[in-house]
This record gives sequence, C-alpha cells and structure tokens, in this order.
Amino acid sequence: MKTLCAQNLCKSYGGTKALRDVTLTLEPGHIYGLLGRNGAGKTTLLKAFTAQIPLTTGTLTYGGEPVWENEKALSELCLGRELSSRLGNSENALKVKDYLRAGRLFYAHWDEAYARQLVQRFGLNPRKTIGQLSKGMLSMLSITMALASRAPLTFLDEPVAGLDMVAREEFYKLLLEEFTASGRTFVVSTHILEEAAPVFDRVLVLKEGQLIEDCETDALLAQFCAVSGREDVVDAACAGYTPLHVETMGRQKCCTLRTPAADIAARGLDVDVTPLALHQVFVALCGGEVEP
Amino acid sequence: MPLNEQSALYQQIAKMLEDGILRGIYREEEQVPSTNELARSLHINPATAAKGINELVEQGILYKRRGIGMFVSPGAVQAITAKRRAAFYEQFILPLVAEASSLGLTGTELAAMLEQAAKKKEETT
Repeated sequence: MKTLCAQNLCKSYGGTKALRDVTLTLEPGHIYGLLGRNGAGKTTLLKAFTAQIPLTTGTLTYGGEPVWENEKALSELCLGRELSSRLGNSENALKVKDYLRAGRLFYAHWDEAYARQLVQRFGLNPRKTIGQLSKGMLSMLSITMALASRAPLTFLDEPVAGLDMVAREEFYKLLLEEFTASGRTFVVSTHILEEAAPVFDRVLVLKEGQLIEDCETDALLAQFCAVSGREDVVDAACAGYTPLHVETMGRQKCCTLRTPAADIAARGLDVDVTPLALHQVFVALCGGEVEP
Repeated sequence: MPLNEQSALYQQIAKMLEDGILRGIYREEEQVPSTNELARSLHINPATAAKGINELVEQGILYKRRGIGMFVSPGAVQAITAKRRAAFYEQFILPLVAEASSLGLTGTELAAMLEQAAKKKEETT
C-alpha cells in the first residue's frame, strides 16, 4: 500500500490561514485520530488531502505521485464527509441510492455488496432523499460511502457526530472489523475522544492550523501526568517542571505536566501521580486556544 | 472487561490475559484470542492488542505457533504467580503500610488486622 506525503501544506481563505506549514506522512496500516478544536483546520486538512480544495502552497503526493487532478490517486483516497440535508435554500433531493452510485463510479475499489450490507445494517432506505434523512442517518450514509469505497486511504470527518451511543459503538466495531480484515489506512476526526482513543494507534493534533503532534497514541500519553495532593508537597514534587494546567481548591492542588509519571513518582513525595487519558491530554495541549 | 485509565492500555491487555490464565480460562498449551479477536471484542486498535500479547511472549508466558496463533506456555501459571509474588511487596504491602501510617495505625495493629483477615479467608475457603 502507498504512502501519502504532505509537505509544507498551507491554505489561506482570504486573510485567514487555515493550514500553516503542515508536513506529515500517512503510513499504511494505521488508524490515525485527527484531533483539534473547532476551527483548528481538521476539515480543511482532510479536504486538502483528497484534493477537494486547492492548496495555497505545499506539495502532496500519494505513492510518489502528485494527488492534484490525478484521477488514479484520487480513486484510492476517500473522504467520508458530513452530509447536509439542505443544498442552498432547498432540500437535498438526491436519493440515497444515487448518492451511493457516485461512489461506485468514483472509487476504484468500490464494494457494492459491502455497501448493500451496510445500508441494511444501518436500516437506511435507499429510496429516501438525503433531505429526508435525520442527522444520525446522514452520518450512517457517509460512513457507508467511506467504508464501501474500500479506498486504501480513507478519511472520515466527524463520522459519529450525529450518532447515539449505541450507533457510535457499532461504528467503531465496523471500523475495527474492516481494519483488521483489510489493513486499509483510516484517518478519523472526532471530538468524542473517550470512546475513540483505544481505536487510534496514532494521533495527529492540529492547533490553529498547525500540526503540533504526530505521534503514537501510547507514546503521547506516556509524556503526561497529573500530580495532586497538598499544595506545598505538589509544588515540591513538580519543582523544575512547568505545569500546563493548575487547579487549586483550598490547600489541594493538581498540576498537569508534560513529564512522564515515573519521573515525578521517583521523587517519593506524598502526592498522587496519575496518567492522563487522551481527552485530558487534548485539553492540556489545546485548552489555551481561543475559539474563533 | 472494564478498562481503566490507570495504566497503559496494552498493559491492561497483558494483565487481562494473565488473569485469564490464572483463572483457567486459558489453560497451558491452549490458544489465546488473536490480536484481531481482541481488537474487535474490546474495541481497541489491533496494534495495542499485539503490544500486550508481545509483552507476554517476551516473558515466556505465551508462545507463538507459526501460522496458527498464540498459545499459553507450559509453566505459565507458575511464571505468573512467581512474577506477581515478586511484585507483591511493592504493589500491595507498601501502599497498605503507607495508608495505615497516614491513619495512625501501628505496625502491631496492622499485623493483627492482617492475621484476622487471613484467618477469615482460610475459614471461608
């Protein structure tokens, strides 16, 4: 399977810099989590990867060949994007079956039987129009398109946004079934990190258009810890390190550090040193960002 | 299986398999679930499951039969027991003593409580 290489991607919309100098390589055989706050540039990056928007500067290659206007490369890259029930001022009148037919025409590895199976599993009515679908059904349709594309490199932009808890679990199950069976590469963006973290073996973090982390999930988590206890003891335990976040309540203090837990624990002080979960690391990394 | 956030996910997978071996869910010379089976049933990335399994392979608790899968090594129960006994003092006794001392319990009082608990356990089993 081929590798997608992005070098110094920049994208500006008027004066707004949506992507700033993003350089990364997507290797085959991973499920990447793409994390970032609202407006951090996740959707822009995914659209850039699939050549749905022109880059301001930078180069993008797939298997060594440029992606832009490269029909062959694009037939192997699929972006499952959030669908809208409206088109401009009117309802989206495209039927579910016609939307999926576009997938059949466009993607080289399209699997019609798999698409039908997913439509059935989700209980989608192929004769309904997109405008008639609920938010959850829209998500299911875009998941169906993305999975059935069997594209070696598949991007899913907020696939679970409209889904309830049961359907979200079902989605991750489907994703892992497909991943273990095919070894396709997936990049998934989501805000619901608690559920998704165990599925991602690598994470990409975007902040204000910049890629600030590109790392194995385990390795990223191992770099952080929370230290809590009595204020003065916590200060002693954290001496020499700059906390990313501090919370106090009376004499109780909790500091979030970008330091392995073992380093703090080795000081042998009377504090609780706990690892962080991915959603806590995310808040520590991106918490300072102002919502646009 | 409840996954907590107190240790890395792959370590929890390794511990879960060890617990399974100690409880006789997986007997010696029997096959354990594959990386993909673990991934699908626990909703985790297969790489994480593989990391957990590999940790046990390195310790000789599991071994690979080429083309078939992972199996429980002969003597695995003993190996896990020995390993956990070696870690028992640090993992259980030291925190126990620290908690007792922060409550002002003396060593004698703690020893008496341990004695009592051990006796109760013996009576029930």
